Amino acid sequence: MTLSPLGKYALRSLTRHSRRTLLSVLGIGIGCAVALIATAYIRGEGDLIERAAALSGTGHLRVSPAGWLPQRDDRLRLRDWQQALAIARQTPGVAAATPRARSNGLLAFGTRVAGVEIVGVDPATEPRLNRVVRSIGAGRYLRPDDRGATVIGQGVADRLRVRLDDELLVTVAARDGNLQSAILRIVGIVRTGSQTVDSTVCQIRLPELEALTGRPGAAEVAVLLERSEEMPAVQAALQKALPAGNVVHTWIEVLPELKASFDLDQGFTRLLIGTIILVVLLGITSAQLASVLERRREFAVLSALGMKELSIARLLLLEAGALGLLGAVTGLLLGVPVVYYLATVGIDYGAFVDADLAISNVLIDKVFHADMGFWLVPQALAIALGATLVATVYPVWFAAKTDPASALRVAQ
Amino acid sequence: MNQTALVTVRDVTKLFSTGRSEVQALRGVTLDVRRGDFLALVGPSGSGKTTLLNLIGALDSATSGTITLLGRDLGAMNRRERAELRLHTIGFVFQAYNLIPVLTARENVEFVLELQGVGAERSERALRVLEELGLGELADRRANELSGGQQQRVAVARAVASRPALVLADEPTANLDTANAEVLMGLMRRLHDEHGMTFVFSTHDPRVVAHATRVVTLQDGRVAADEER
Repeated sequence: MTLSPLGKYALRSLTRHSRRTLLSVLGIGIGCAVALIATAYIRGEGDLIERAAALSGTGHLRVSPAGWLPQRDDRLRLRDWQQALAIARQTPGVAAATPRARSNGLLAFGTRVAGVEIVGVDPATEPRLNRVVRSIGAGRYLRPDDRGATVIGQGVADRLRVRLDDELLVTVAARDGNLQSAILRIVGIVRTGSQTVDSTVCQIRLPELEALTGRPGAAEVAVLLERSEEMPAVQAALQKALPAGNVVHTWIEVLPELKASFDLDQGFTRLLIGTIILVVLLGITSAQLASVLERRREFAVLSALGMKELSIARLLLLEAGALGLLGAVTGLLLGVPVVYYLATVGIDYGAFVDADLAISNVLIDKVFHADMGFWLVPQALAIALGATLVATVYPVWFAAKTDPASALRVAQ
Repeated sequence: MNQTALVTVRDVTKLFSTGRSEVQALRGVTLDVRRGDFLALVGPSGSGKTTLLNLIGALDSATSGTITLLGRDLGAMNRRERAELRLHTIGFVFQAYNLIPVLTARENVEFVLELQGVGAERSERALRVLEELGLGELADRRANELSGGQQQRVAVARAVASRPALVLADEPTANLDTANAEVLMGLMRRLHDEHGMTFVFSTHDPRVVAHATRVVTLQDGRVAADEER
């Protein structure tokens, strides 16, 4: 392909002050690389939070009785829960679904008492959606044929000073207002490593919670999706298919504190990206303006030759575009190795903080991995080209408005 | 209006304001430039030669009076229309050559043709013009690799490439030695004689004035003499 004289002029102009061009490209590249790394981190964090929420037992979606969300009243039960569960499992895009019910209760061992939320589960499907109960430190998880068995967290066990096979007295307020009690044998103790999460785990089989509370049925169906991107579509399809009186919520609605925490983090990271891009932008504007001022006589001559403002703008935008393109390539060369490291090795927050990473009883992985993908290329182009072109607007305007007579007069 | 006039200048004044002081560069100039003129504008420094060239070339606007080029009133044109007029009607040769340093001689000529919307044949056309002016062997050399005299000849090639109705040259030989000045003036004169091009150039140099067919003398912003040769 042969470049037109205008194209040659634009590209060769970048070689006039090669050191300035190199520094500009490096500036754009560094800004672009930092933005790419921060974006990869945000995306990775977003995936991590979503995965943590989905596998905390909440699922990507949760079917709840209508009216549950505002009050979070766990005494409400799903309408035709078994039908709702079957529909959920048959809906395309759903990887697994499990029913649950919850009740506040007291666990007692000797003279020691602990208040916990007792969760009635289906032992066959619960571990698929709840990675917490996969972390059995002692004993085993519940089985479908268990009778009077419970799995508790290490924190609960520590408070009650109990061990495997000890028997706990569980007391809940039943539907009729009376207290109901039962004896539960500890078959497993969960050790996630998070004090917060381990202090809340207490699971029994769903039919046993139904019997204990006198409230038949499940209060929720947690739904795990094959692909999280399909969440809105599956939510709509499921809502349409479910019996009336049931509502499908996303994990974002169920765990707003978790989403808010992520949004806050994301906001700060975006602010950082914005600040870096602004600094780069001002740097490019300054360099481009210096270049335009040096070439003021040249623009006056071009104008005298009949070059229109739009053509002068096109010339400078071509130069800026080439600069932005080189900046994007530099940004990718600098940023991709760091993103690759963060995507494969990750950042281990466990090495910096002793406290566990749990928000709203959702266990967050201590190792954060950045997201790496082909998206880096268009993102780098958008950041570098966008910033360079925006930064060039004022110098372009300045050059295009050069008055040929006065510029030539001053030059003489 | 004189029907043979390419340019008419009627009672034109130009006032420059520089801060608190004002400079009256032209004080009522009236002049016709006819088709085929090879006109030298002479006069001492500050007499208004460059100002008058800038006004005729639609680079600047008169404070009062009217200037027409090919019958069009320059004062009534906006920036865009003036740029369009310069592009298609006027060729400029500057004192300091003002070639684009990063382009070759051929690309400098081609660049103007590209601005005029000439298509694929512009490269051939640029080379033909350079060859016609004896600059063929310099075609692929960058402007900053050429001597002053060579640069100025390329500047002339750039100015005449599209056969404009009028070529304006502001002190074209001021930075050239005598030999190069002679070569340049000979070149411009040849273009005038062979193609009937109209040239208006300002100069201090009596050897250059000798080539002119008409000499207009400016003094204190007025036409002091208009002599045919």
